Amino acid sequence: MATIARCLRVVRPTAYSAVLRNSASRTIGARPFSMTATNAVRKYTKEHEWIDLSGDMKTGVLGISEYAAKQLGDIVYVELPEEGKEVQAGDAIGAVESVKSAADINAPISCKITQINLVLEEKPGTINQVAEDDSHGGGWIAKVQITEEGLKDFEQLLDAKAYEEYTAEEGEH
Amino acid sequence: MKSEPMALLCHLGALTRHLTPNITRSRLHSVSSPVPIQVRPYTQNLGRPVQIYRSRSTDPYLNLSIEHHLLQRSHPESTVLFLYTNRPSVVIGRNQNPWLEVNLRALRQGLPQSAAAAPTLVRRRSGGGTVFHDAGNANWSIICPPPAFDRDKHAEMVVRALRGLAGAAARGGKVRVNKRHDIVMDLDVEVGGVETFKVSGSAYKLTRTRSLHHGTCLLSSENLGRVGGLLRSPAEGFIKARGVESVRSPIRNVGLGGDEFADAVVGEFRKMYGDADGREVVVGEEEALANEEVVKGLRELTSPDWIFGQTPLFTFSTHPTEDDPRERPGITHRLPEEFRAQFTVRHGEIQAADLAGLEYHYSVDDASQDVVLSNALVEQRLYYIEDWRSALRQASPVPVDVEGVGEWLNYMF
Repeated sequence: MATIARCLRVVRPTAYSAVLRNSASRTIGARPFSMTATNAVRKYTKEHEWIDLSGDMKTGVLGISEYAAKQLGDIVYVELPEEGKEVQAGDAIGAVESVKSAADINAPISCKITQINLVLEEKPGTINQVAEDDSHGGGWIAKVQITEEGLKDFEQLLDAKAYEEYTAEEGEH
Repeated sequence: MKSEPMALLCHLGALTRHLTPNITRSRLHSVSSPVPIQVRPYTQNLGRPVQIYRSRSTDPYLNLSIEHHLLQRSHPESTVLFLYTNRPSVVIGRNQNPWLEVNLRALRQGLPQSAAAAPTLVRRRSGGGTVFHDAGNANWSIICPPPAFDRDKHAEMVVRALRGLAGAAARGGKVRVNKRHDIVMDLDVEVGGVETFKVSGSAYKLTRTRSLHHGTCLLSSENLGRVGGLLRSPAEGFIKARGVESVRSPIRNVGLGGDEFADAVVGEFRKMYGDADGREVVVGEEEALANEEVVKGLRELTSPDWIFGQTPLFTFSTHPTEDDPRERPGITHRLPEEFRAQFTVRHGEIQAADLAGLEYHYSVDDASQDVVLSNALVEQRLYYIEDWRSALRQASPVPVDVEGVGEWLNYMF
């Protein structure tokens, strides 16, 4: 996710950060309707993408974080990734547009795109509502198949707690 | 190297009527200017912390490709200013719909009251809406690291440049950045009160490592009164598009020359980034075209698959639908009474087509003929259809009246 998170002029979501710090559950964005296997693990990139790794470690679901969605503003269009595409960590796989800005979405890990969330084609604002929801009506962007290399990439990412700390720090600049 | 893009563009000209047919890679004119002659290519400048470039080219595709190359290759910590002016062009945003935003037929015919070549149709890589560029409009572009990104910061910089110049002050206009990150000019009007005009629009492109903000500035365009017709599509009432629609504003020139504006912007940029002694680099066409990455970007920007195929999903229908219940505009063309058409187009490709009420020369089963014809249109690229009359003729299993319907669809698309 092309970061504008450190943009100085954006209205600082201090209430939001406060909610995160006080939240009993450390995972950002409770997922009551999640269809992911219960032992899926979620991690984040410093560029504000998230990825859920399934229990069998072969597949995943990705999107951009609630934090990023808030910073971006109203998302008016999502350029979805190409199904079947194989990508490396950091490759641009799509883009979102908000406030005249075309912001790249980057692959959090090396993977192959197997499915894209067509709900976003009709309702790009779904990301603003439920950015981290990986269930049917949620703001997830793509489902992926994970390679060996992808698993290694995954280890380098931030877990929910580390991501929360990272964004809180950014918010203070 | 020089002939390759030319050959490419001639080939593309055959595919689409909408590109200016006579794009020329003009030889570099020798310009008498105070800028010292450079012996190093501009790319050797990419590692410097503060960089200033001006383009000699007026080719919008090339200028955007140079800009993109600067975005991708300038040092990640650097701050870059790039200034350029384009020949007459209609520039749509990354996620816009050319059939909705532009009157493509009028565009091909050229600007009214003008003998000049038809404006060029361009899709840029940044977001936002549709704008018109010409020699009286200046383009400025700033590339910086993401932590330094701010949507208004550099628009404010351009405002400072404008405020310092005679033209804007003389007209009594006050320039400022508005909530939409545009630069506007407030003019006192005779009857008392203030009228606000847009003089500059902004758009942004954000990558993982760099942020780009570019904008226009209306200096002295002769075409303000002429472009309205180009930017109103006859298909507007029939198309429901995902993606981004333009927001129209009344526009005005600030009344300045290109050089004085550019010099003032460079001056403010230097004040901000402390590069008072740094050189300005002039980028020539030949030099840019000698760069593989610039040419790669140029190929992408000039391809019909980008210009037209990058269009988000849209539907077109002659009659109200559940998806788009608006009342339709009246149709002045003569069409068969029962005629209805509905298309779903994604990435410029017809995904679904449903035509009915066409008049066949001999009737077997009109309804099923309609179905066959409709199916034959599916998977065709809308932007490859040069003439709907022949497209319909070819799609129909049985000879069909194509004149009325074909002509109207040509007008729409």
